[in-house]
Amino acid sequence: MLSRVAASFYWLSRYIERSDGILRMLKTNYASSQDSIAGFSWEPVMRIFSGADTDLIRSLGNESRSVLKFMVNERDNPNSIINLITLARENARSVQEHIPKDLWQCINEYYHTVKEPRIATGLRKDDPIGILDVLIKEVMLYYGTAEITMERGQARSFMNIGKYLERAIQSIDILDVKFGPINTNPDLLLDITYWKHLLQSIGGYELYQKTYRDGLEAHNVIEQVILNNDFPRSAIYSVNNIQRYFDRLKNNSNVNDYREISFQIGKLQSNIKYSSVKSISQIGLHQYLTGLRDDLYKIGNSLNGYYFANS
Amino acid sequence: MQDTQFFEKYGLINGVWDEMYNKDHVVRDHYHKVIEYLSKESADDLHKKEELAKRLFMTQGITFTVYNSGEGIEKIFPFDIIPRVITSSEWEFIEKGIKQRLTALNLFLKDIYHNQFIIKDGVVPIDIVYSCPHFLREMYQLNVPYDVYVHIAGIDLIRDHDGTFYVLEDNLRTPSGVSYMLENREITKRLFPDLIPHCGVRSVTEYPSILYKNLQALSPRQVSNPTIVLLSPGIYNSAYFEHTTLARLMGVELVEGRDLVVNNHRVYMKTTTGLQQVDVIYRRVDDDFLDPLMFNPQSVLGVAGLMGAYRKGNVAIVNALGNGVADDKATYIYVPDMIRYYLNEEPLLKNVPTHRLSNPDEREYVFANINKMVIKKTNESGGYGMLMGHAASDEEIEKYKLEIMKDPRNFIAQPTISLSAAPCYINGVLQPRRIDLRPYALCGPDGIEIVPGGLTRVALTEGSLVVNSSQGGGSKDTWVLA
Repeated sequence: MLSRVAASFYWLSRYIERSDGILRMLKTNYASSQDSIAGFSWEPVMRIFSGADTDLIRSLGNESRSVLKFMVNERDNPNSIINLITLARENARSVQEHIPKDLWQCINEYYHTVKEPRIATGLRKDDPIGILDVLIKEVMLYYGTAEITMERGQARSFMNIGKYLERAIQSIDILDVKFGPINTNPDLLLDITYWKHLLQSIGGYELYQKTYRDGLEAHNVIEQVILNNDFPRSAIYSVNNIQRYFDRLKNNSNVNDYREISFQIGKLQSNIKYSSVKSISQIGLHQYLTGLRDDLYKIGNSLNGYYFANS
Repeated sequence: MQDTQFFEKYGLINGVWDEMYNKDHVVRDHYHKVIEYLSKESADDLHKKEELAKRLFMTQGITFTVYNSGEGIEKIFPFDIIPRVITSSEWEFIEKGIKQRLTALNLFLKDIYHNQFIIKDGVVPIDIVYSCPHFLREMYQLNVPYDVYVHIAGIDLIRDHDGTFYVLEDNLRTPSGVSYMLENREITKRLFPDLIPHCGVRSVTEYPSILYKNLQALSPRQVSNPTIVLLSPGIYNSAYFEHTTLARLMGVELVEGRDLVVNNHRVYMKTTTGLQQVDVIYRRVDDDFLDPLMFNPQSVLGVAGLMGAYRKGNVAIVNALGNGVADDKATYIYVPDMIRYYLNEEPLLKNVPTHRLSNPDEREYVFANINKMVIKKTNESGGYGMLMGHAASDEEIEKYKLEIMKDPRNFIAQPTISLSAAPCYINGVLQPRRIDLRPYALCGPDGIEIVPGGLTRVALTEGSLVVNSSQGGGSKDTWVLA
């Protein structure tokens, strides 16, 4: 497979996964902003997903509809949904002859839907949840179509590596940002709604309820988001899948290139696997998460160099 | 049957060949079945079909992008739902004519880049060849596989008021539009169920497999499965959709310049498993951008060193470089002479009478009759830089004349040909609009093959004679009856 094509698959999938994460995040956060809890802040969301600086965040004034507009429709926000889907579509377009027509049409339709005027006006005037649902449905359609139509070959492996890499980084970022304020405000540790929203925004609340019977506690949240093998957004689940799909590239790889990256993935996998909440808190959560993130970035860079001929 | 709502307003245009009606306003035989089908439809049905066609084009991404103020706007190439029908005898004539013409043009290119007999025998003047910017000295004495220069040709045909076919242009470089021939047919299948088999329309679907077979035969390496690539300028090119369609249908790799490298006079593509040698390049990049070492040094669309690999015979390039000297509008004048010279045959397809403006007598004549003339630049395509004498203002004409005087070699003039008209569904009724025809001819080691069909382009503006998509033209599905 052409290096450029492999890179396009990888990025196509990363951008879609990112848009999915952001949309779900926006939906639950909007819902909680309507919960009339004092002190609800959009700041973490904007920090994680748009890289917005303090000035910009302040200029939007914690006003839900302006934040939604910024996160969905704003061309100046590099991670706005519209920019992400545009990039995803351009990547898809450059591999159009490698993907099933159905999948291309799906991505194309997602793009055209985001651009429809009813999305912008809906976010401004109507029920934003309904609008976000329309978009989330487009992403789900994409995932379903990809699952059903994609040939089980190299292309799909690159897509899944991109998808899980993106997901792992997202979960780590969310955890990192959400635990950030705790140093200055230890009361949050006992604030049940705070943890509930965190879990809901990554779709892990139901699983948590089933796993832990003793209420919402910070260390359990850490355990689920990093170490739970069954939670599809946990770091370990994502890294296991990176490993799984990278392994499938073995027969289509240069031995040395493969070995190099396989080593990096394996090392990261063991690092997470043989961690516990206790060992993590000994290192310090922030420190630990930074380490994981760096390792993930390194894997991304190595793919870039060894497989995508962009060194 | 002609009393239905759609046909009431369909008037014949004076002095124009109508594809559907003969001059007594009676439907021609080959249009009978289509008209019968349409008569049963209500206005609402047809409107729905038109909408369906638009939606199909849009969701399938059969669009080109127009860049305005940074934001790309997706546009569909306008499509008229009423097919254009060609009889089998008309097609037989077209097919023969194009084969003859293309054979001569291929011989001309071989001759021009080798011994130049045709110049020495005084059939084609030397200045026409050497003043053409597309004449490549780099091609001199270079042998191309099977002596085929034009592997893919899109020769534009038009019909005058008496129905005679004329050749308007020979497109021998990288003719585009063939994906619309294929997609238009797919859309028509959806719009008019059962109509295509009922009318006995010949299929166009073989095009990609014939092309693939020809490309495969050109491989310089004697391997069973040569690597064939389609070289595209990338996703921002307006014809990108076509490039992906062809790559997908042929199952070849679509590459951009940055995917290729040349090492030791061989071309390789960068893959996830390392470098893989490329044998045949079907390029959709112009000559000038193919190799920055040899041509335009600014180009990032091509591959440095490609021309070296080509000269060594390590890679085949389709179409060959330097073909522009044969489809130059000044060379066009001599094509009938070429046919007589190389083949000793009378040309079947006629040329539109053409005046060279570098010849003072002809120029004087053209200027005196400028209202009846179309003046074109010899090296432009896509309908750019044209002057339509009957429609231009005095001011425009004066300005254009000054431009001509600066470099008369670059201009030719032709009498305005009235282009035949075909029914189009516009604003709820059938209206006549002017059309042309571009069949796609494929030339391989086994000879020339033309799939029965082509792209019918239509000037959708009332009274307009310009069919180019860049100038507000659209297209129709083109039916050749068995």
